[in-house]
Amino acid sequence: MVVVSEVFKSLFEGFGVSLEIFALTLLFAIPLGLVISFGSMSKFKPLKYFVKFIVWIIRGTPLMLQLIIIFYGPGLLATWAANSGSANPAILWMSSWQVMDRFLAVIVSFVINYACYFSEIFRGGIEGIPKGQYEAGQVLGMTKTQTFFKVVLMQVVKRIIPPMSNEIITLVKDTSLARVISVYELIWAGQTFIKSSGILWPLLATGIFYLAFNGILTIVFGKIEKKLDYYKN
Amino acid sequence: MKKKILAIVMSVVLVFGIVCAFTACGDDKQDDGQKIVSDMEYIKEKGTMVIGITEYAPMNFKAEDGSWTGFDTEFAEAVCEKLGVKAEFFVLSDWDQKVNELNSKAIDVVWNGMTITDELKQSMSITDPYVVNAQVIVCKAENAEKYNSLDAIKDAKIAVETGSAGEDCVEGFANVTAVAAQSDALLEVESGAADVCVIDITMANAMTGKGTSYADLTKTASLNEEQYGIGCRKDSDTCDEINKVIDELMADGTLDKLADKYELTLVK
Repeated sequence: MVVVSEVFKSLFEGFGVSLEIFALTLLFAIPLGLVISFGSMSKFKPLKYFVKFIVWIIRGTPLMLQLIIIFYGPGLLATWAANSGSANPAILWMSSWQVMDRFLAVIVSFVINYACYFSEIFRGGIEGIPKGQYEAGQVLGMTKTQTFFKVVLMQVVKRIIPPMSNEIITLVKDTSLARVISVYELIWAGQTFIKSSGILWPLLATGIFYLAFNGILTIVFGKIEKKLDYYKN
Repeated sequence: MKKKILAIVMSVVLVFGIVCAFTACGDDKQDDGQKIVSDMEYIKEKGTMVIGITEYAPMNFKAEDGSWTGFDTEFAEAVCEKLGVKAEFFVLSDWDQKVNELNSKAIDVVWNGMTITDELKQSMSITDPYVVNAQVIVCKAENAEKYNSLDAIKDAKIAVETGSAGEDCVEGFANVTAVAAQSDALLEVESGAADVCVIDITMANAMTGKGTSYADLTKTASLNEEQYGIGCRKDSDTCDEINKVIDELMADGTLDKLADKYELTLVK
């Protein structure tokens, strides 16, 4: 018979991986999202359309598919290239590609995916600030950069908190997609017991972890919103 | 002007980042392309054979101390020892990805009580069969009388593992749901979402009855007989090498001992 403490030990192990995916994705996706949002607002047209094209691809396809392509893609192309027997240098180079580490593939896919979603939230936040504020800044003799960082940025932060908390809570649950490419995480930890011992409740118990963590996030974001409440606009 | 330069730099960085992401950041281990390395040589050079498994008693499962054991585990370790490589077991979450896992070289063989089907033969090279298996109908004990043959389940709601031999058994039936794993098929029956499921007899023996969550499930009729084989990359020489070792292990009685230990029937 399976001991409860044993089950929770492996659930915590799986939860640890889920948290790692969560934290690393946020760490890299927020700055990358900001870069992408600047790209999509650029006055340099080719860059703007290129960035919008990428965002369309990433937001327009399931994250599950992106995981599969990013992890298996290079290895499958390498096998194809090696079997093609072509002497083309590009194809020869392709045949040396290898699959990357599974966990790395998860982080790469999640960061690209979430950065694209974040970028649109940032763009909405930045473009939502009235132009008059930049003009006022100019009148006061501030440069555009100064106006952005000293006047605009904190207002943007305040405005994007609710949509960001939405995305971030979704991210917590999306970490369960990592198992598609066999990265051990919370849901898989729970499912293992169905196979090995024929018991179901550990899988159902994983819900407690997601709920508790998202509960904490909800409280934190509520506090942040309150703190920024002194900006009335 | 400064802005334009910044914009160009940013686009270059972006393009580079994306290319980088898609090429596993240029792990530049170029075999100068010309030399063709056979699959077996590639595995021997690495020194480890990565064996794709799922947790599946009695083929591969965790012992009390957390280490891997089971018929296929011991069998694979014996074969790897003869080949002079280390056996490394990797648990796949999704049995459906096994061909991608092989072709992308994420794993080297699929060795987990894999039923040989014509469909699989098209996408991988499979060794000689080594163990005989059967597909069985599993249903709630109170329905055991009702669902006791292939004909009897024609109109029942059936759950099968996608891509499995069980799915082939019920091909063309009206109410078939394909789920990700055999254990999920059991869950379908237990929850009442399906009336019956068709799974491996080895799995049914291990997962139903007393002491499991499926104590009220029982197996009824046994459908077609089938054989287990080891999956290698398509047209790979690893397949022939493993076949040779299997012959040796059959001859010296190693496999007989293993089959007795795990109550399986060898292909002779």
